[in-house]
Amino acid sequence: MHQFVFAILLLAIGANAAAQSEVEKGRYLAAAGDCVACHTAANGRPFIGGRPFHTPFGTLFSTNITPDKKTGIGNYTLEDFTAAMRRGEGAHGNLYPAMPYTSYYLIPDEDIASLYTYFMQLPAVEYAAPGNDLFFPANLRYGLKLWNWVFFDKAPISQPEGKSPQWLRGNYLVNGLGHCGECHTPRNFAFAMKREEKLSGNILEGWDAVDIRPASLRRQGWDREQLRLLFTTGASERGTALGEMFSVVKHSLSRLSESDINAIITYLLDDSAENNESVAGKLGSPQVAAEQHTQGRADFVAYCAGCHGREGRGVTLSFAPPMDRSAAVRGDSAYNMIAVILRGLPAQRMDRINARAGMPAFHLELDDARVAGLVNFMRTAWGDAEEPVTREEVEEIRRQLREEDYLGAVK
Amino acid sequence: MAKIPVSMVVNGEKIGPLEVEEYTSMLDFLHEHLNLTGTKLGCGIGVCRACTIVVERDDGSLEPVRSCINNVGRFNGETVTTVEGQAEHDSAGEIVALSPIQQAFLRNFSFQCGWCTAGFVNAATALIDQLKREPVPADTIEGVIDEALGEHICRCTGYVRYFRAVREVIESTPGLLLKEAK
Repeated sequence: MHQFVFAILLLAIGANAAAQSEVEKGRYLAAAGDCVACHTAANGRPFIGGRPFHTPFGTLFSTNITPDKKTGIGNYTLEDFTAAMRRGEGAHGNLYPAMPYTSYYLIPDEDIASLYTYFMQLPAVEYAAPGNDLFFPANLRYGLKLWNWVFFDKAPISQPEGKSPQWLRGNYLVNGLGHCGECHTPRNFAFAMKREEKLSGNILEGWDAVDIRPASLRRQGWDREQLRLLFTTGASERGTALGEMFSVVKHSLSRLSESDINAIITYLLDDSAENNESVAGKLGSPQVAAEQHTQGRADFVAYCAGCHGREGRGVTLSFAPPMDRSAAVRGDSAYNMIAVILRGLPAQRMDRINARAGMPAFHLELDDARVAGLVNFMRTAWGDAEEPVTREEVEEIRRQLREEDYLGAVK
Repeated sequence: MAKIPVSMVVNGEKIGPLEVEEYTSMLDFLHEHLNLTGTKLGCGIGVCRACTIVVERDDGSLEPVRSCINNVGRFNGETVTTVEGQAEHDSAGEIVALSPIQQAFLRNFSFQCGWCTAGFVNAATALIDQLKREPVPADTIEGVIDEALGEHICRCTGYVRYFRAVREVIESTPGLLLKEAK
């Protein structure tokens, strides 16, 4: 008899452990999918929504995904949850493709089930996000059916033969659950990702979500170690995570297992036995740069070197990263260099003991010609840019940033 | 070490041209070349704002700028004020009267060790100048002070006393607040 009771107890504990591990798996997948980033307002409770998204079609608000029956997803069955995640079909009609179902459709059934288990056991919070404020005709949800018919390409994930299991896992994490392309892939007039230009970079919220294809990353000198540092700490000597990417590192990438980080890196660098070198392009010459861009160099010494160090060598990563090894300086596009100089950067906090100082904005003090000169000095000294940045390009970026109200937030 | 010629107006006095090593921080320039040691080095990475000085923009408005993270070249040709220049001086260079901000800080015993005080005095002075140009509704005063001084770090007094001091000056100086408070 005693053995019998003991066996029942063990079974019960086992079932509980299985349920618990299903919750833990869901928690991990939710971090990998970075659900919290969008479904949380600034300083708000996690997962209750209310974060605004400013699009060319008006403002959208993320929704409450705690299991509250009135305002959240408390009435969702697993089937309802699957429909929302994979097809963008919510209880109240089609979801706007700000919800990345255009990537999440690649998530397999078992992962969807774990995510469902995790979300349904969260504390239910009654909170209704503000209503969307969209212009005609984007405010009509039935139009989304047409949008999906035209633009929602449900092509199965391409997992070519001959790639390592690590690469295949990375492919899923980057293109499916991690939905990197939602920011890093350019969008067409209807805001749909251009599949043929996958991960080739996209201007978003006044930053360049850079080209993260293997050739581009390698040319800027990204290797496994530098990417690992960026993904786990938010900073590497190639640069620090800007804007929304910092939130991705903080809430998602830094919480992933070592093997998943390795998988993502293997995919991004297309790393294999044959292809494993990081070939930084030809690097510039500080001497040539100083001769060609006298004012740019003087401004670098006066405005930048106090933090970014003599000859751009940097101080520490938590203060100011080096410029002489920076991927942004080596990159084809100077957008982020220009945007950082004009906008500045807010201080960032990873956790209680890891934080990074911000950077002042210089939009009031440096005019377009001087910003161009500064950028050209740096790119000539430490990058391999063929084409100098023109005053007009800076003017245009400044105009866009001002229009979208990104100047003046950082002092 | 390459040197650059440096000229500027500091506390009303024309300085230079002096030959200064180009990587000299503005803070070191004030200390070592001008013997103005009232500006303090706090964190050295532009976070605590103890080293804040005031730069006069082309339109005459005042801007607080951190002197530890900016090298001297940034201030070439500019008109700057440090804490030594805030009080009113007579022609012999003797202090005649403290500025209203300085008096209010003393009256409220706003600081103890005093290391951050120069930065607070300069930033608060720039705030008063900003409010003279653009008065704000009276009910927004707390947010306005917080925006201007909230980043300044003080490790002694808990922020309440300087907040009160600045508020006093804003409320007692005519023209800084809009009458029709919401």
